[in-house]
Amino acid sequence: MKKYLKTLLMYVCISYTMVSVSGAVVNIITGTKTSNSNTLIMFGLCVIASFVLSLNKIFDEFSPLLMIVLQYAVVMALCAGFLFLLSLIDPISPKGWIEYFRSITVPYIVIAGIYYYCLYDEAKKQDRIIKDIQNGKK
Amino acid sequence: MGVRVCLPVYLECNLKQRMKLNLFEDKNCKEEHVDVYFTNMRPVIRQIMDSVNSERPSFSGRPADEDLDDFEETILDPDDIYYLDFVDRKLFAYTKTGVFRLMNTLASCEEMLWNYGFVRVSKSNLINIYKIKQLRPDLNMKVYASFDNGERICINRSYKKTFNEYLKVMMRQTV
Repeated sequence: MKKYLKTLLMYVCISYTMVSVSGAVVNIITGTKTSNSNTLIMFGLCVIASFVLSLNKIFDEFSPLLMIVLQYAVVMALCAGFLFLLSLIDPISPKGWIEYFRSITVPYIVIAGIYYYCLYDEAKKQDRIIKDIQNGKK
Repeated sequence: MGVRVCLPVYLECNLKQRMKLNLFEDKNCKEEHVDVYFTNMRPVIRQIMDSVNSERPSFSGRPADEDLDDFEETILDPDDIYYLDFVDRKLFAYTKTGVFRLMNTLASCEEMLWNYGFVRVSKSNLINIYKIKQLRPDLNMKVYASFDNGERICINRSYKKTFNEYLKVMMRQTV
């Protein structure tokens, strides 16, 4: 459990750093500003996404594609619930909900694409190693 | 003086790489022996050692699709086996000639066949890497190992690390 929490904390730190740095770069380019509440929401979303992604062992029996889709659905549902609770205190505009949908979907698709590329590349490397072993050469 | 006949033969192992084999016939030889010269202790050398020590694993299997009592056992060499499949508490060996039921456990086979290119890729499968035709991911992102007989075995994500480590060790040893 301790090891799991350590790993989860590491995932949260990495994902939040990536999201906040990317957000800062986008803000500089587009000239937009972000608020403190947005920063905290971003952190909350990173915690939820990292938690769901860390449960990948549960989805081990499914194909990676199904796992990605299921995890995406769970992340979306949990984040929507989280934002709904926040909206009871501070209402979110319809545009805010679209932004939320976009800011989770886009990185998710990008990461899924990277995952597929890495998987394909790794399989290709393994295939090459197997051929080399079969031919008895390094 | 004994007759010393040198017969250069090329020993073909499950590797495509060939190894020169010298056979000497000596009628006065008191103790028959085998000398093996090798550059490093790779799996094929261990296989030769197993053969000399009469420890080369072989399995007796019965045709899977027939009644177990009606058919004779077939001796299977590890080199003939594509993969092992554990289904319904029964272990099956898939070969070019057919499917055979073995009476061993998957764990014991895994231990015995380590030097013969067999690696665990899922809870119920042990595959022979020398028989893999191609390794590639499917559209559903599962990685499959295809064999000459047209069958495919999925490499489970949980066993990916073990599989990679096994390939690295085999690669290091196969020089």
